[in-house]
Amino acid sequence: MATRPYKIRPHNLLYLGTITLFIIGIFAILFQIGVDKPSLKDIFPAGEVRIGIDATLPPFAFISDNELAGFEITLGEQIGEQIGLPVRFVNMGFDGLYDSLVGEPAQVDLVISRLIIDPLRSGEVYYTRPYFNAGLVLVTEDASQINSMNDIQPDTALAYAYGSRADNEARRWLRRIPPFETRPYEIPTHALDAVRVGDADIALTDSVTARLYLSENPQWQAEIYPVTDELYAIAIRIHDIERWRLIENALTDLFENSTIEQLTDLWF
Amino acid sequence: MNSMLTSLIDILRANWQWIVRGYVLWIILGIIFPAQHRAPLQDPQTVQTLQPQVCVHTDLKDEVDEWKIQRSLQLVREMGATTIVEFFPWAYAEPQDNQYNWSQFDRIINHAHNQGLRIIARLGLVPDWARPSDTTLNYLPEESDEAFTEFAVAFATRYAGRVNDVIIWNEPNLAFEWGYQPIDPLRYTRLLEHVYSRLHQANPNIIVHAGALAPTLEPVGSPHGLNDLIYLESLYEVGAYEFFDALAVHAYGLTQPTDAPPAENELNFRRVELIREIIVRYTDDEAPVFITESGWNDNPSWIHAVTPSRRIANTLDAFEWTQQNSSWVENLCIWILRYPRPTRRYPDNWTLVTSEFQLKPIYYAIQSYARGWESDEELWLPAPTK
Repeated sequence: MATRPYKIRPHNLLYLGTITLFIIGIFAILFQIGVDKPSLKDIFPAGEVRIGIDATLPPFAFISDNELAGFEITLGEQIGEQIGLPVRFVNMGFDGLYDSLVGEPAQVDLVISRLIIDPLRSGEVYYTRPYFNAGLVLVTEDASQINSMNDIQPDTALAYAYGSRADNEARRWLRRIPPFETRPYEIPTHALDAVRVGDADIALTDSVTARLYLSENPQWQAEIYPVTDELYAIAIRIHDIERWRLIENALTDLFENSTIEQLTDLWF
Repeated sequence: MNSMLTSLIDILRANWQWIVRGYVLWIILGIIFPAQHRAPLQDPQTVQTLQPQVCVHTDLKDEVDEWKIQRSLQLVREMGATTIVEFFPWAYAEPQDNQYNWSQFDRIINHAHNQGLRIIARLGLVPDWARPSDTTLNYLPEESDEAFTEFAVAFATRYAGRVNDVIIWNEPNLAFEWGYQPIDPLRYTRLLEHVYSRLHQANPNIIVHAGALAPTLEPVGSPHGLNDLIYLESLYEVGAYEFFDALAVHAYGLTQPTDAPPAENELNFRRVELIREIIVRYTDDEAPVFITESGWNDNPSWIHAVTPSRRIANTLDAFEWTQQNSSWVENLCIWILRYPRPTRRYPDNWTLVTSEFQLKPIYYAIQSYARGWESDEELWLPAPTK
């Protein structure tokens, strides 16, 4: 006797899916019951926040008069204040930063050291939201109408530092839009000088240089337009989800109460 | 004929569901396991250059995709470099005692040879089975010298004619590179002695390079390393020069220009001249020098870096210096062509090409220099008058 084959129909799938989700939900709730919210002592067993840094990167982190200084040092202190714990900076070379975080035993609780979000590290660390964008920017006079590659005309003179990331980007643009005038200079500040004195229409440079230049030349009315992203974020070991949550919340608070903006203005 | 066609159609009709299933499975498998880019060897190439001293250090040992190995080596040739330095880790080739896997080495060497490049092979990195469990990959116990020698001989034999230069170890004057054992020039000399004659038996044309020393000012007794000049002098005092044919040297400029004068307490490019003084002081038959790592970093925030423009100018000056000293320096190898993946930090600023194969301005500058395409124009404009 032939048996009638069982056919999966759409409404059966919907039913099965709903049941599965329901069971997963029940399990999730059951596992959460009885789990205490970890205390600050659980999250930072040393009773302090150990922050890995590479203090060779002014104005982010550097040593001045035998003291650590810089944007990231102040940021670390502010995060400690938000959390309510003292911070201790562990200064090391770049090569040791991630190892100090993910090694056993971990030497630091988090790293604040111009770490660019690296998708290939996603298996071992969580990143917070970015706290700084060090990508390329266009710097133009206020009255200029040029604020992106698409605004560049054949008679536009673009200044940049020879051999730099901006040079790379300018070469890329030359392959994408009609030729324009390129003005390579030895250093990025010369490119910015060129715009300021009228030798070039726009300058393409990294945002750190542009910010520092504008703060040193407050009389110059210029605008900054982002071109590329290079996002710096804080890294926390992937097993320490509660620690990440705490730091992420602290950083969000610092953004919301304008502390990050003030720190940026202070150091750049 | 007609009946055959009819029966074929009948078979297709009867099994059309299986045919559709098979097709869907084939599509799914193709998505899960996409076909590898093929990288067949091309017609043998030759390097066109006016500057045979131009060399670059590559990092292909961890490159998974063969086409990336091929593309990297094409870029080396097109840049006008005659020579590459590449690290061939023992731990990769012999993961189990006496069980060799040459596949990655074959790929690199076949493609480099195909591009007409000379290969300087750096050997090192100890497999698990050849060292105690609580040691690092650079720890070579003396009882494993023979095992290392067997690997080196197997390498030299397999690649004879295509690889005729080997460097034994790297920076043995650094604690990290020496597996955190006490820094000991005599111990390193014994390693060279163990390897030297066996390599020459395996390949009579081989040039055995003593491992390049790390430029450092670390004093005697430092846990981190030992001053390279002191270390080299010790090597010569114990007669190590009998066990190498050439000396690999690392010459980084750091923040100083190429022509900054050498001094014992300074780390700069021309420190290599102090190395040369030691060689001349101890031997008549002077070993040629190969600068197997060199360069300047141009990360804007790293304190040991220079500007990108200075990096290019210094690098071109260094090639000129090498040409002027070609009686005793054979190659100047820039660290580094590209990394398989970006570090997203200042080490990326050593590269000539990004991990995504974007050529940097320094690549074009070296290419123009090596291939004689330079123009009379200055590299950059004068500073604007404020």
